[in-house]
Amino acid sequence: MSCDELRDGYELYALGVLEDPERSELREHLGRGCEVCVAGVKRAREAMAVLAETVPPVAPPPRLRRRILASVGVERSRWWVTPMWVGISLSCLVAAFYYAGREHSLGIQMARVQTQSRQLLEEAARLNEALALLNQPETKQVTFGEGAPKPPRGRVFVNPRQGVLLLASNLPPAPPGKIYEMWIIPKGGNPVPAGLFQSDAEGAAMHLRRGPVDVAATGAVAVTLEAEGGAPQPTSTPLIVAAL
Amino acid sequence: MTLLPLLLAAGLSEGDRELAERLQRREPEALAELYDRYGRLAYALIYRIVRDTGAAEDLVQETFLRVWNRAQGFDAGKGSLGPWLLAVARNRAIDYLRSTSGRLRNALELEETEHPSHFLDLEKQILNSDMVRRVKGAFARLSENQRAVIELAYFEGLSQTEMAERMGQPLGTVKTWVRTALQILRDELGAAVSA
Repeated sequence: MSCDELRDGYELYALGVLEDPERSELREHLGRGCEVCVAGVKRAREAMAVLAETVPPVAPPPRLRRRILASVGVERSRWWVTPMWVGISLSCLVAAFYYAGREHSLGIQMARVQTQSRQLLEEAARLNEALALLNQPETKQVTFGEGAPKPPRGRVFVNPRQGVLLLASNLPPAPPGKIYEMWIIPKGGNPVPAGLFQSDAEGAAMHLRRGPVDVAATGAVAVTLEAEGGAPQPTSTPLIVAAL
Repeated sequence: MTLLPLLLAAGLSEGDRELAERLQRREPEALAELYDRYGRLAYALIYRIVRDTGAAEDLVQETFLRVWNRAQGFDAGKGSLGPWLLAVARNRAIDYLRSTSGRLRNALELEETEHPSHFLDLEKQILNSDMVRRVKGAFARLSENQRAVIELAYFEGLSQTEMAERMGQPLGTVKTWVRTALQILRDELGAAVSA
């Protein structure tokens, strides 16, 4: 066959669906380095590569990245969030209550275990969500408090689809009757409440505001100390300001 | 279709060379970078073909490990990682479709189409948004039957004979649809490359 006769088969060959006799003929042309057919098949591969981009976007689950990387030893699973460790922790709790709680009724023990298990599972879910946001390539990261005379310090991660994650250190626990409130501040607009949180005894805090964020329209993320229950607008000077 | 994956992919080919060299040195972090560049595209493509999230995850993993294990055969100075990886992704997915439907006709031929050497000297900006926009525009101009045959070839790996059986149409009619559709796409891509 001539190159002209084979021309219509370049793309189908590139896709692996060309049938004989055209397939064998084209292979023969390529095998002897036929310039016309080699160039034609190269163009066909380019065209077929572009077709991959016409598919509707579907986001892979965040666990897939971890799974692939773990398979070549890049990232091990975080021991503190795996279901296995949650299960082990629960077993330890059950055992502790079983052996030490003879003076209490079985009902009280079970209620405590249930509360502890719920807290563990909620914490594991929250950490998994945070890790998922951190793992997204489009997540934007800004630091705050660097070089400031007084703490707190930390980072804010903003993902257009998943939300805003705040990680802070040196943030003392809010005093009784008070709580920390996060704000998303649009460029040229009023702060929008983004949830309440408390820091732990060591001054560490993690707060996640779930949901889409218009990153380009956001000027900053801030944190203020507010009365328990929060406020619709900030009532005190921000303790944290992370400019995007 | 959001432009984000396209924007992420656009202009990445220039960095492919360094990334390919790191993959060849088997630096595990290079695989992380490869996933961040092409993971979303590969997943979307595979999911479009197999329509099953569990299978899609398995096949994406298989795709990246296959590229990881075959990177030695890739010429970092001349090749385009993205098109190669997407060819591997498509082939893994079609192979899966064939295995679940009992169609094992030309799995070896699929293997041949993903050989790294075939992706040498491809247009470096092949995955840029302008090309994609043009090809999508050309796709929109295809008739329903012309679009159907291209999708059957690309997303299901059907030959023209198999397409004719699937569509209940004469082989000659299917060949005409394929020829016309490919000519339209070819013209548009040629215009994009020379633009």
